[in-house]
Amino acid sequence: MNKDKIFKLAKGFRGRAKNCIRIARERVEKALQYSYRDRRNKKRDMRSLWIERINAGARLHGVNYGNFMHGLMKENIQLNRKVLSELSMHEPYSFKALVDISSNAFPGNKRPKKDSSSIVA
Amino acid sequence: MASRRCLGALTRHLRARLFSASPLENPQTLSLRSLGFTIPQRTSSDLDICHRAFRRSISIRFGGVRRCSSRPTNPSDEEEDEDDESEEEEEENEERGVSSDGENGDVRASKCVVQRGKSEEEKVVEAAEIGYKVIGPLDSSENPFKLYEPFFAVVQIGSHQFKVSNGDSIFTERLKYCEVNDKLILNRVLMLGSRSQTVVGRPIVPDAAVHAIVEEHTLDATVIIFKKKRRKNYRRTKGHRQELTKLRITDIQGIDKSENVAAVA
Repeated sequence: MNKDKIFKLAKGFRGRAKNCIRIARERVEKALQYSYRDRRNKKRDMRSLWIERINAGARLHGVNYGNFMHGLMKENIQLNRKVLSELSMHEPYSFKALVDISSNAFPGNKRPKKDSSSIVA
Repeated sequence: MASRRCLGALTRHLRARLFSASPLENPQTLSLRSLGFTIPQRTSSDLDICHRAFRRSISIRFGGVRRCSSRPTNPSDEEEDEDDESEEEEEENEERGVSSDGENGDVRASKCVVQRGKSEEEKVVEAAEIGYKVIGPLDSSENPFKLYEPFFAVVQIGSHQFKVSNGDSIFTERLKYCEVNDKLILNRVLMLGSRSQTVVGRPIVPDAAVHAIVEEHTLDATVIIFKKKRRKNYRRTKGHRQELTKLRITDIQGIDKSENVAAVA
């Protein structure tokens, strides 16, 4: 029973770890431990990925991430980073509207380059 | 017990009379006429007052009966699928039955009802509002599914936000108080967008609604929770399946649709 379950979880492992029970048991246990830890890490990783994407999208419009988020918080816009990153990828005009709102609320940066770096409408 | 089943039928009739017409306007007068008790003036809401009137009536009528038997065989006072709520109401009745005094019942009433009154219909709607949804009627052989329209909305359910469009399906945490094929209205809309317009709410857009239909109540795939301390002979395995609800988005309201279609065409 248990052996079959171990081998089922050991699919795709390298070398003897997918075939021999003694080695497979160790590797499977380690894999389950990693998955426990990484279920918590995934939340952190995803958030930092969203922040990277928002940063990139906002810098196209001449605003950096910190000032952008500060402007949004000032305007009491409660969109979270997941949705903001999706907007920056798939809805460029809406994201530009948000950047404009934020820079009106909190003009932190100077905006030297507006024509060459923004998306052509 | 048979007494509890009769009690349930009686309270069902009384409750139907109380909450059938304009529950939020004149509950006090309705309860006064129907039950014939003088209710002491308190500063809490009308709902609590008529709730307490119910409970006091129950305790005074069946004051001496000790109800310590079989909680699981509690007949369903309420809607069919809320077992937890009927059990909690069970505990309320039991405490009221044990303390057969009017005064003690009153004091306990003020403590218990405010915390666990989840069984009334208004409370159900309030709990639904916390999860930002309003339950509409069930689907009745009409087809609410439309073709894809190029509009999106950002809607918040509980603590999760989703960017949805017409025809999408989303998985959320298990939404209580709604069954399969229920129409929902998600009224916490944070943003609306289309080809030529963006509506940003601070924080929500008023008068915007996203219609959805509950597609299914499912369980997530199993995750294995495995804990091990090496060299200490400690190893634990546990499986977990999270309860989810799958919603299908059917309509987005609150953004001008006619202009965009004309502009595109």
